[in-house]
Amino acid sequence: MVNLNTVLPRNGRNYYLALGLEGSANKLGVGIVKHPVLPEHEDGDLSFKCESEIMANIRDTYVTPPGEGFLPRDTARHHRNWCVRLIKRALQEAGVKDPSRDLDVICFTRGPGMGAPLHSVAIAARTISLLWGIPLVGVNHCVGHIEMGREITGAANPVVLYVSGGNTQVIAYSEKRYRIFGETLDIAIGNCLDRFARTLRIPNSPSPGYNIEQLAKKCSDKERLVELPYTVKGMDLSMSGILAYIETLAKDLFRGNKKNKILFDPKTGEQKVTVDDLCFALQENMFAMLVEITERAMAHVNSNQVLVVGGVGCNERLQEMMGQMCGDRALGQVHATDERFCIDNGVMIAQAGLLEYRMGQATTDLNETVVTQKFRTDEVYVGWRE
Amino acid sequence: MSEEIVSRVSNYLTPQVPFKAIAQGAEAVVFTTNVHPYLPAKDSNNKTYVIKYRPPKRYRHPSIDRSLTKHRTLSESRLLAKLFLIPGLKVPQLIACDAYNGYIWIEFLGEDLPNDAGFSNLKNFLWMFAPSDPYDPIVKETLIKVGEQIGLLHWNDYCHGDLTSSNIVLVREGPESWQPYLIDFGLGSTSNMVEDKGVDLYVLERAIVSTHSLFADTYKEWLMHGFCQVYKNNGAEGEKKLKEVLNRFQEVRMRGRKRSMIG
Repeated sequence: MVNLNTVLPRNGRNYYLALGLEGSANKLGVGIVKHPVLPEHEDGDLSFKCESEIMANIRDTYVTPPGEGFLPRDTARHHRNWCVRLIKRALQEAGVKDPSRDLDVICFTRGPGMGAPLHSVAIAARTISLLWGIPLVGVNHCVGHIEMGREITGAANPVVLYVSGGNTQVIAYSEKRYRIFGETLDIAIGNCLDRFARTLRIPNSPSPGYNIEQLAKKCSDKERLVELPYTVKGMDLSMSGILAYIETLAKDLFRGNKKNKILFDPKTGEQKVTVDDLCFALQENMFAMLVEITERAMAHVNSNQVLVVGGVGCNERLQEMMGQMCGDRALGQVHATDERFCIDNGVMIAQAGLLEYRMGQATTDLNETVVTQKFRTDEVYVGWRE
Repeated sequence: MSEEIVSRVSNYLTPQVPFKAIAQGAEAVVFTTNVHPYLPAKDSNNKTYVIKYRPPKRYRHPSIDRSLTKHRTLSESRLLAKLFLIPGLKVPQLIACDAYNGYIWIEFLGEDLPNDAGFSNLKNFLWMFAPSDPYDPIVKETLIKVGEQIGLLHWNDYCHGDLTSSNIVLVREGPESWQPYLIDFGLGSTSNMVEDKGVDLYVLERAIVSTHSLFADTYKEWLMHGFCQVYKNNGAEGEKKLKEVLNRFQEVRMRGRKRSMIG
């Protein structure tokens, strides 16, 4: 059996307190999470019921102008500039007076992500660890999303659809690992949406995907759909072809290329398709693919719960489609979280890191805190589950 | 399974065709019946047939749904009909197809495994052996045969598209001998492209690793042994093509691993 109370809180407290630092992409997040010590955790598979209390959840996003993405160097500079301020604010919000006494562990994102931003946040984590004499835990970003989703929704053993700017994976737990059943063979769904938003030159604030969702809602004729490639390969999918195709369409639309029969009526030259229609078609097509591979994974592992995590998981249309799919399956349930936990944040890193800490997997050796850009979800040993 | 689907199917099949639901996959619902769609009743006595129905998916846009259902049902039927004629390749026999409504009738294969281990697909078969003797000689023989089936499929320029251990049905040939049949060609295609074959093998590898994690290395080795054998039996040309496929397989695998993961 799993004993989540393997390591007891420091200084004889009856609760654990963890600080989480996240900075794998353009969001810098600091979160503080509190777990009470519960006797039932000594002997049971209860890592999804920690009764965690969120003491602080602060995030600052590096937003670039329309038509531009975020570059590693500039993003790292943003993180360096804001890191100290955010940590101070988080400690204040959580009412932590003396961090060296009140905190148990400092958790940071070890990967996957962009090298430079990961690095600057890891340095901040090492610094405060040395300053306050608190052990460190390096957390896998994807596992952070999964653990936070399980804690918030109370889903014990779901099939996880993890959709964000850099990842598209269908994951299920088995034999102490989160196994990847299906994933993208080329680019991630969020990346695809971001790049299409760049082609359309729409604002990157609050997020490119959100703005595409709003445009798609404005689509006037939802019966008619621009046909796009549908590229599901078993439980995997491919999205670069769809992006290339729809980008060509968008460019033809802006240039007014009348030869394109999909966009313009060949006789009258009248425009048939708008930007809204393209956004709508892109979402419908790609989300249908995502829901299909999720359903495949559910059928394969005989599960009836789905948990949607990651930035694209806040998309209401995706949540709606997932709900419809689950409704047609016996006892199907869909779990999703809102933007506070879907989008990268520090709390999820603290949650997953604290679980690792409670199983005795923390370190004070800085040699073990090296970040890595490539860190697969299934490399993590999940000690806190049966 | 929802009542709605069952009532829709019974409306379509008319009361003359009694049916029983046996499985709900990701995209299709599978029923069995004892009635042959067009032979007189006396000729179809005591035989079981499978009806595979692709119900409309509410979550998909109707136009995507219509075109996918039609395309997959039709291409699956075409593939089954063609593959059935290839010597050595084992697939269920196609009986009838209604592409617009998403129905296929095929022959029933397989049986229930002993000791409540479930239906005789490769997944349940491997799970049945896992606790006692995962490397039993019967397992080895069966996996090599599975590899041969996949090899034959690829050698004849067809791809399956969704190779998992639940899409391979084992038919008993003797007390200790099983013949694997490939089923579910909904994502299948005709293709002479090395890329598609590489992706096919990669999908299979991932399915084996995630479902049979502990013994995956040995299982993969046996599967690949059978797969390579088919190509090697075809002389120098086979060797050449095998090398191409394996190289591409390696490439696809690296793609999955090295892909940058940010987010």
